[in-house]
Amino acid sequence: MDNFRGPLKSDCEELLGRFQATESVRFERFSAIWKSTNFSSIFYGKPDPKERRHFARLALSVVSPYFHPPYTFQIRVGGLYLLYGLFHTQLCTPKEKIRIALKDWKDVMQFQRDAENAQHHDVVYIFKKLMSDKAFLFTAMPTMLFFRMKREDGKGKKICEEFVDPPTRTQELVTTDMLEELANVHEHYENLKKAVFTDSDPNVNLIEQCLVSKLNNAVIAYSSWQDNHTVKAEQLDAGEGPSNQDSSRRAQLLASIKSRSYGHVMEASKARRHRQLQLVLSTDGDHTPNTSSKKKRPPSLKKRTQLRFKIQGTEREKLTNATRLWNLSKVKEDKVTEKKKQFKWTPKPESDVT
Amino acid sequence: MAESSGVTLNENVPVFEYTDVSSKEFHIGAFRDLWLNALNLDVYSYSDTSPEIRDVQLIEEMGIEPETLEELKNMCSVESLRSEHEDTDTVPADPQLSTLKLRKRRQEYKESLTRDHIDRHEAYANELEMICVGKKPEDLGDLVPEGELILTFNVLYPVLFQRFKHVRAYQTLNVLGSQKLTELKDAICCVSDLQVFGEFSNNPDTVPQFISKDHYKSAFFFFNGTFYNDTRFPECRDISATTIDWAKTRDFTEFETAKMEDTCFHDLKMKVGFPYYYTHQGDCEHVVILTDIRLVHQDDCLDKKLYPLITHKHRVVTRKCSVCHTYISRWVTTNDALAPTDPCLFCEQCFRLFHYDDKLNKVGDFLAYAYVDPGTFN
Repeated sequence: MDNFRGPLKSDCEELLGRFQATESVRFERFSAIWKSTNFSSIFYGKPDPKERRHFARLALSVVSPYFHPPYTFQIRVGGLYLLYGLFHTQLCTPKEKIRIALKDWKDVMQFQRDAENAQHHDVVYIFKKLMSDKAFLFTAMPTMLFFRMKREDGKGKKICEEFVDPPTRTQELVTTDMLEELANVHEHYENLKKAVFTDSDPNVNLIEQCLVSKLNNAVIAYSSWQDNHTVKAEQLDAGEGPSNQDSSRRAQLLASIKSRSYGHVMEASKARRHRQLQLVLSTDGDHTPNTSSKKKRPPSLKKRTQLRFKIQGTEREKLTNATRLWNLSKVKEDKVTEKKKQFKWTPKPESDVT
Repeated sequence: MAESSGVTLNENVPVFEYTDVSSKEFHIGAFRDLWLNALNLDVYSYSDTSPEIRDVQLIEEMGIEPETLEELKNMCSVESLRSEHEDTDTVPADPQLSTLKLRKRRQEYKESLTRDHIDRHEAYANELEMICVGKKPEDLGDLVPEGELILTFNVLYPVLFQRFKHVRAYQTLNVLGSQKLTELKDAICCVSDLQVFGEFSNNPDTVPQFISKDHYKSAFFFFNGTFYNDTRFPECRDISATTIDWAKTRDFTEFETAKMEDTCFHDLKMKVGFPYYYTHQGDCEHVVILTDIRLVHQDDCLDKKLYPLITHKHRVVTRKCSVCHTYISRWVTTNDALAPTDPCLFCEQCFRLFHYDDKLNKVGDFLAYAYVDPGTFN
């Protein structure tokens, strides 16, 4: 069941991404996206009630983090709408609830206050409706903890970078309070110095005189650079600059030269004909790490003998299929020879072509 | 609004010690008080406010007109999210969501398998859930009070064979915060409680009726450096004393003891998700993990008498007799020249027929013990 976590997360991120693109927090926009993807069908297809309940619980736990910081306000609103939708379209009775931990409650209350101040009535209404529908479970920790020491591959914990505000660590460090305090300390220090040394000794000037203002300017410059940088990055994505075109032409030229050289295979001499090189075309260009890490062992002697005899004719085939006396009376039937295959949760690329 | 790093949370707010593994220690009663202070009563009460009162409250709190409220209700109704596809049992054709694609593949795989038999135990397991969900007591005095805490414990079965230690079989129990530790102890079903001692090859008819549960009543819980002993009965001995004495000779902090029947869960300081310890019968050890603590909800079982409630029990395959493979085994023999394996299991009839002749004399040389199957709790 945990294998559904990956696809669930990608579905939710897609939905939230589309919601983010609308740049609005209105519920109508959200429900339009929901309906277009037919998201309520995510619960369909499991007649077993226990499995349904388990899946509903998993879905709610996957979406819950989007309702809390560090995501942006719009994503949090999207998360709230998603939770609302999932809670009401789930198929089990009694309904699976949304878990809220005590440590996150303050953030939730703050979120509600922000929404009220910004007059986002639909956000507030939906939140209050969920509260009155008793959709929340007030818990100690966000998920049930089983002391799983097994290290997972971290895929489930990745925070989608687009949903988070750009980091503002410098602004958080150098706040106005901090600057004020720094200015006070600086003043005290200067006064102390003046009191101790009657004439200003240049050796005692170890720090900047106008430390506070310089720090402030540096932080402001950084934040404006950050804003410009993000704007520039968006502009670059929009269109190709002339320099990009040149480099792509050159790349194409190089690629064509390479393909011609690798496409041509030298014919081996007669003595080495059995080790003739064969051209293996790469199907889609990207090598999955699995296949490239496997070392290709040279085929064994038995295998090579078989191959040789097979190439030379079908005589060997007749010999290999010699009459088996004990099989004579066997009824010829199509034996289902395929073994019970194990279910692959993550399909290999070639089998996923639909 | 960025919080300055100087503000620390109240120490009783549970936070992760190791993310997604376990939390730091906190006092359970204080945690409950924090939640109850933060919430309004109607948020966690069992009764639902009527829609009209709710509308009036909303208009007041949000400061909007009744027409706006009507508009909001229409816009944000759940009906706008439902789809036209009514058949919920099958995956819709041509799924777009990756979850549905995975589910479809899984269903197709499952249909390709051939199932030989239908598990009747699955049917019983579902019944277990059905009887307790949403149950209200007849006597209102037994109603779980609002704002009560429900703790969920996973009690793991002891590992008897090294080969099977990779399967972590457990049972899940829900207890109320106001209940005492002894109630949890009584509710844990362990097969070692039912063992009968003694060798009975010479007198198979006189198997005594007492079980180990009645004889050896000592048990203790070990939470956060304190041993909670069961001292209800005079036969109970303090079996934690040996461990405490041993620890004194080594470099451990001093362990304390307390009484199990005097402590209720509200008084404890625990870590969520951290493995703790329960021992009974002298050496039958169980790992106990507190997986979840939450406020009681309207849809939970509200009958106090039903707690501690078993919500999940791992099914163990019952061992049948080696001879007939039909009946559940009651006897185990060792040093038996007649039996194919050592030890060997027999049901009542096969045991008698095999080992005793017409005159009820013992045939062959063997030792026989009463066997209690681990699957008796299924």
